[in-house]
Amino acid sequence: MRYYPNIPDLNADSSINLLLRRAKENRTVDIEEYVTTGGYSALKKALTKFTPEDIVVLVEESTLRGRGGAGFPTGRKWRFALSNPPPRYLICNADESEPGTFKDRIIIERDPHLLIEGMAIAGYALGAELGFIYIRGEYPAGAKILEDAIEDARKRGFLGKNILGTEFSFDILVYRGAGAYICGEETALIESLEGKRGHPRLRPPYPANYGLFGKPTVVNNVETLSNIPIIVTYESYYMNIGPSGYYGPKLFPISGKVNKPGVYESTMDITLRDLIDMAGGMRDGKKFKVVFAGALGVYSERDLDTPMDYSPKGFGGTGTTIVLAEDDCIIDSLIVIAEFFEHESCGKCTPCRVGTYEQLNILRKFQQGTATEEDIKLLEHLGRNIPVGSICGLGYSASNAIMDALRKFRDEFYEHIKGNCPAGVCF
Amino acid sequence: MEFIYLTEEIRQQIDKYVEKFPVRDQAVIQSLHLIYSKYRDIEDYHMKELSEYLQVPLNVIEGIVSFYDMFRVKRGARHHIRVCKNLPCHIMGCKNLLKMFEKLTGEKANEYSKNGRFYIETVECIGSCSIAPAFMIDDDLYNGLNITEEKLNEILSKYT
Repeated sequence: MRYYPNIPDLNADSSINLLLRRAKENRTVDIEEYVTTGGYSALKKALTKFTPEDIVVLVEESTLRGRGGAGFPTGRKWRFALSNPPPRYLICNADESEPGTFKDRIIIERDPHLLIEGMAIAGYALGAELGFIYIRGEYPAGAKILEDAIEDARKRGFLGKNILGTEFSFDILVYRGAGAYICGEETALIESLEGKRGHPRLRPPYPANYGLFGKPTVVNNVETLSNIPIIVTYESYYMNIGPSGYYGPKLFPISGKVNKPGVYESTMDITLRDLIDMAGGMRDGKKFKVVFAGALGVYSERDLDTPMDYSPKGFGGTGTTIVLAEDDCIIDSLIVIAEFFEHESCGKCTPCRVGTYEQLNILRKFQQGTATEEDIKLLEHLGRNIPVGSICGLGYSASNAIMDALRKFRDEFYEHIKGNCPAGVCF
Repeated sequence: MEFIYLTEEIRQQIDKYVEKFPVRDQAVIQSLHLIYSKYRDIEDYHMKELSEYLQVPLNVIEGIVSFYDMFRVKRGARHHIRVCKNLPCHIMGCKNLLKMFEKLTGEKANEYSKNGRFYIETVECIGSCSIAPAFMIDDDLYNGLNITEEKLNEILSKYT
């Protein structure tokens, strides 16, 4: 038995069972068990029954969207890369650093072969010969588990030269990041993967045209790639999972003041309320106050019936749900989020570098009781101008949560100006 | 040139990276990880040796070290405690946990270690929000919910 650094006991209860089928228990599934429970059959099927074009069509029909947050249709991304000549590269983005997100970790640490199989099929569809897994520096156990799993897969002939006796060759390399949130942004990730500082690139050209080493590159999230074996296995039956247009399973990492925090797998036809119920309801019977969707949005009690899909009105994103109870303060939480952005801004674009700093300082004034109504206007001004002055997703979303809170919890800001914190946290 | 800090073992690992990756520059961050996990600090002399060994300009390596959080911070300690301070851990009481750490180790958070045993760093999300408040000591992850001083002391005593 190999020694692994300790895997955290992250809860993985769910209502359906596709992505987390083998990941229920707190251990790593080895290749033996993976193969006997039907693993790598999708790869076999893909290589023997389908052409690469068939797989791209399958993924397009499945309406699979990027599970890393942006929700871009995966099939379309692949199509863009395929319109450019080879060599092409496939990158798996395992740099999940969004506050409250730990869904990819479950797949990486407990069922790494699902990801490897998905990457091999995606590599076949894209005509790529080399794939990278960019895993964040804070997951040393994950990196080790993946490296061992890849080695096992090579020995069994699921990776390497002439996979399963076919013409197709594909290999995966694990590359560790070093603690920078910005490297989850695909162009910054590519820069970091090339061995540079992780500054995002100006787009266009998009990675599908000019990516890693200047070659066409597809960057997909761990969960997205883990969906590929399921799509190949189920083919058109995949369209029976979940609501129309948003097919397939989705992982929801839920944390904060709920009874059973953890990762839950579900179809996307549930609402925020269902998800909180699934996680055992509010801890200690406290009253619900607000949900933070990572650092990207604020959902109040009135939004509890929001569907958890990628529609314009839906929850979308990574599915990250941080639940706050009545005794938590909005301003206090926003300061934590603002500190996060101030710390993680890479410094390339001035509006983001300076704006996130100013945003934090203004929010701190609310907590200290020195804020005036002018400060609300300043926050709104920053919220309008940081996104337009930035070139990447970090800048686009740096003030989302604050703008959302200003719309939905404006009273709290005024209460703080008067020197009164409704939750009793500040002052 | 003789290498003092890049031991035989580390150099073998670096050779593997150079062989594995298509471009030599890609080995830099991975090699820095090796140095980091052995010395828990990246100093000038480490960078100089790495630059010499990999034949990558020193400014490139310095640029990487100053960008990535795991390498940038000077710790001066054998063990590195990372306490998550992001939203899920914040609302579950990471401040109490931090106070306990400060009391037990006698170090101040985010300050250069005094006696060279522990460095306490408050970090952004470490992706373990369901066991919030979470903390890492070196490469090991722990659940900080309902942790007592006694239990924490027991954990700390494993790291000498």
